Amino acid sequence: MIARRTVLAGGAASAAALGLAACGSDSSKGSGTDGKGKTLTLWIMEGTNPSTDAYIADLKKKFKEATQADLTVEVQPWDGAHDKFVNVMGGDSAPDVAEVGTTWTPEFADAGGLDPIGDELEEAGLSGKYVKALKESATLEGEVFGAPWYAGVRSILANKDLLSAAGVDKQPGNWQELLDAAQALKKKDPSTIPFPISGGSPFGLLPFIWGAGGEIAKQSGDTWKAAIADSPAVEGVTWYTDIALKHKLSTPAASTWKETDALAAFQKGDVGMFITGSWVPATIKEKSPELYDKLMAFTIPAKDSEVAPSFLGGSHLCRFTGTKEPELAFELIKLMTTGEFAANWAKQTNFFPGEQSALDEVVTSGDDLTAVFAKQMTEGGKSVPVTPLWGQVEGKKTIPNLLNTVLTGGKDAATACQDAAKEMDQIFDD
Amino acid sequence: MSTAPSTAAPSVRRPSRAARLRRALPPWLLLAPALITLGVLLLWPMIRVADLSLQKFRLRHLLRGEREYIVLENYQKILTDDHLWLTVLPNTIGFAAVCVAATMLVGTVVALFLNTLSTPWRIICTTAIMVAWAVPALTGTYIFVWLFDPHSGFVAGVLEWLGLLEADTVNWWNNRWAFYGIAALNVVYHGFPFIAVTILAGLMTVPKELYEAARVDGAGAWRRFASVTVPTMRPIFAVCLILSTIWDFKVFTQIYLMPGGDGSNRSVMNLGVWSYTEAAGQGHYGMGAAIAVLLTALLLVISVVYLRTLLKEDDL
Repeated sequence: MIARRTVLAGGAASAAALGLAACGSDSSKGSGTDGKGKTLTLWIMEGTNPSTDAYIADLKKKFKEATQADLTVEVQPWDGAHDKFVNVMGGDSAPDVAEVGTTWTPEFADAGGLDPIGDELEEAGLSGKYVKALKESATLEGEVFGAPWYAGVRSILANKDLLSAAGVDKQPGNWQELLDAAQALKKKDPSTIPFPISGGSPFGLLPFIWGAGGEIAKQSGDTWKAAIADSPAVEGVTWYTDIALKHKLSTPAASTWKETDALAAFQKGDVGMFITGSWVPATIKEKSPELYDKLMAFTIPAKDSEVAPSFLGGSHLCRFTGTKEPELAFELIKLMTTGEFAANWAKQTNFFPGEQSALDEVVTSGDDLTAVFAKQMTEGGKSVPVTPLWGQVEGKKTIPNLLNTVLTGGKDAATACQDAAKEMDQIFDD
Repeated sequence: MSTAPSTAAPSVRRPSRAARLRRALPPWLLLAPALITLGVLLLWPMIRVADLSLQKFRLRHLLRGEREYIVLENYQKILTDDHLWLTVLPNTIGFAAVCVAATMLVGTVVALFLNTLSTPWRIICTTAIMVAWAVPALTGTYIFVWLFDPHSGFVAGVLEWLGLLEADTVNWWNNRWAFYGIAALNVVYHGFPFIAVTILAGLMTVPKELYEAARVDGAGAWRRFASVTVPTMRPIFAVCLILSTIWDFKVFTQIYLMPGGDGSNRSVMNLGVWSYTEAAGQGHYGMGAAIAVLLTALLLVISVVYLRTLLKEDDL
């Protein structure tokens, strides 16, 4: 406990060392953790799982069986969750374990709010069991600060009726074939929006930057440098925005759309195909089953191949530095991110499990739509730059601003990319 | 204490210190709850914000309880930023000026109209417009965003039907003027009922004799308004003006929730959104606080100017 208090006071480097020392000696006792009379607090996010209550009841029971400790679960709304974490991290009301969005993990870890669990994962033989890109997004300066729980990825979802009317029925093998497909849709029915380019959604753009061989930013040593103005990235931005500007396959309204707006237009039947998350088919199934039957999915193609890297977003389960029961906390993380509980959560939420074997299971047993998204995830799952500073780039809306500027004709892609790079470098250098 | 005599200059007429204290205490005791509440809810946060604005304050400072004073660096950064002078300040001030003028105008006209109605109709109409006022800014904004949706909104539909617009050819959210035009409609719609009702209350207190006298003197409706209503109602107009200036300057929800208003379209940013994206978005709490302090200072200056020009001292 003393070590843990010091974590808060000390710098990041010494903090890691102290934390490790504490954990190392703790876990040497093995898995026969006795948590009798102890209570652990867990935070999970609201709205991800429609049957959260049943899941929590099972989890409590199982955790009690395994460790004899009690579990208090608090369900937090995503809205304002970031601020709430920030506020409690300094104080005693922080949870022992919480679900943390993958892009927040490095930021919270750097601030000293999260406790590294890498060595315990190693000891428990779990190190190599998680989806690689997801574990990477929890890794900061060689330390692992969370275990992957579940994740989602973005691919292309399409309306089979509109597509087959236009004679499009196969997975685009590269950019050109995607463009051909969208143009065929436009030719068949000029009133549809073949492929909306949503200005408010950076996750639609990233696969094209990555798919052209570009990067958002590159790490050299301890520092990051923006790479979004390098030529492959600019090529990706140019090609993606040209779908709207040059080929007129989007609609002006889409330049301020978020993902939800594109989904709404798709549900009305106005959209041929669009980039969206792997959890969306389930949403559509619930709201309009007849549309669900017409769904078709493609992986987002890269410039010259079928699968472009696509952003892999989800949640880690993290142990907070304020916990008085680090061993129990780790047991809980282990319980939730592996085996039955990992698989059930994924099934109930329509997300993909963070455990590789559970993911493989979903891929082999799932339907066609799931298989496409899973392919994008396993072959193309990629993380945004893993740095505590990335949260600021997100908060500044650098990439939505880049998209918006180019889509409204304010600047050409190359100039807008240079501006975005300058903005990112200012954040990275600060 | 009460027995301590004032040995130096005993005076019969001067009450003892204790007596003076006894007389002075009750008003302060009565004021105490309000003062304490104000102090806790208003003064202390303001001091904290001012203090914060002098620091480099990030998440790690909060978690580790560190303080890093950089004195005026935040202010220097803001004041030397072109973004402030070319975008944020013109948007904030221009928008507030238009909205305040429009809200006052609409509010006054509606109040004059309501004043001419019979009591039952006045109650019905007042209730009706108060509904607009009672709608939360969030809900109201979503309604306007939905009305003006360029792809499938009501306004786009009407314009297309009239042949003024070809469907799906424009996105007015991206145009700074159109964006703020729609925001102004939203803010004025939301703000005028309060002004109208306040002015109506004032109008009903203006003595009828004044109008009768003016009419006998041959004054027309406009002249009666300018020479009787306005001078009598000056303090009420002043309060309404100051309140709506404050509201329209610090408008945030209505801008942030509009497409592109969250910072992805930088040309439509105002002080409120800028402060929010710095503080909550990027965790630059010190910087966000400095922007908020500037906004407060700006409002204070404007309020003082208003009070000075609108009211003579004895009016207050």
